[in-house]
Amino acid sequence: MSKCQFEDLIDGYLLNKLSERDKEAFEEHYFNCHSCFQKLQERDIIIRTIKSNPALLTQEQAETRSPILETLKREVASLFTVKQLALAGVTAALLLVVVLAIIPRQQAPAPNFFLSDEETVRGSSITLISPVIDMNQIPTSFEWKKLGENIEYQISIFNHELLWKATTRENRITLPDEVKARMIPGEKYSWQVKAFGPDGTLIAVSSKVQFKIAAQ
Amino acid sequence: MTDRLDRDIQELVVRYRPIIAFRVRKALGAQNTDCDDLVSEILSQVLEKLQSGEFRGDSSLGTFVYTITSRRIVDYIREKTKVMKFAPEPEPFPDPQETLEAKEMSDRVKKALSQLKPKYRQVLYLYYYQELSREEVASELGVSTRKVSELVNYALKLIRKELKS
Repeated sequence: MSKCQFEDLIDGYLLNKLSERDKEAFEEHYFNCHSCFQKLQERDIIIRTIKSNPALLTQEQAETRSPILETLKREVASLFTVKQLALAGVTAALLLVVVLAIIPRQQAPAPNFFLSDEETVRGSSITLISPVIDMNQIPTSFEWKKLGENIEYQISIFNHELLWKATTRENRITLPDEVKARMIPGEKYSWQVKAFGPDGTLIAVSSKVQFKIAAQ
Repeated sequence: MTDRLDRDIQELVVRYRPIIAFRVRKALGAQNTDCDDLVSEILSQVLEKLQSGEFRGDSSLGTFVYTITSRRIVDYIREKTKVMKFAPEPEPFPDPQETLEAKEMSDRVKKALSQLKPKYRQVLYLYYYQELSREEVASELGVSTRKVSELVNYALKLIRKELKS
């Protein structure tokens, strides 16, 4: 993969070390260069994670434990007979199985928590497809990305307060005329979708997306 | 015809929304609650200008979107300064929490950092956390500047590997 000459500016840009001129040139560049933008996003997360968690880089960990283990092993070896050692070996193997089976489960990625207005739920997010930008007219239908089978979606539309709420098993819904009649051109609206599993538990929530209906 | 237009618009939004959002967040700070509104506003300005034929292809589309974004950010800061005397100062390096994706990536970065060998951790700490230049890191560690670049690049490579796994 060939390297883009702008790549060297990523660190300087994120650490605010560039001159105004270089900064603007780089900004214009990443609006045009997909590869640089991807690298920029990734580096941004890396730098912000480091800035928020410096202790991860200053603490000594992991390595310090293994020498102790080595000494322990040597001591154990000198203490037992061959038969006992074999038994210890089997026990250790069993222990290893337990460790390998249980630890990974504990180290599995932390559950995702999604914070909505009134609740914290475990699960993933829903991507809203349309409308996500300003509309020329009152939208006739709302669409979002399908999450899977057997899922019930609850859609809510808000202006200042809840305007309409409905549930469906499809990943789109048509707006009833009576709701359309209550929507006014020139006003801002937002909408949100929640997904419920077969047993009725909330499994995912979308972000609230705002759109404006152009004034006539 | 309108279907095709709709599709083009969707493509444009999918492509530029993240870039515009990144630029806006960098300028205003991720905590600023106006960010989402501003991004939506910029996107609709772009679409409006495209539809009215204001984009004539003198520059690339990316540059066109960049210009609209930068102007809107300048306007926003100007408006705020008028009301508040000082523009809101964005927190420079907020913990990546703004989206689920950012949070997940950050968790992976944390995992990768804690598994790095001490020499890599040390160099990342000096270079990114303390923001020393490569030359300063080099004299701190008693190695060549070139070696510092190698260490940083290799550490980043290891982190990227964790991000992609």
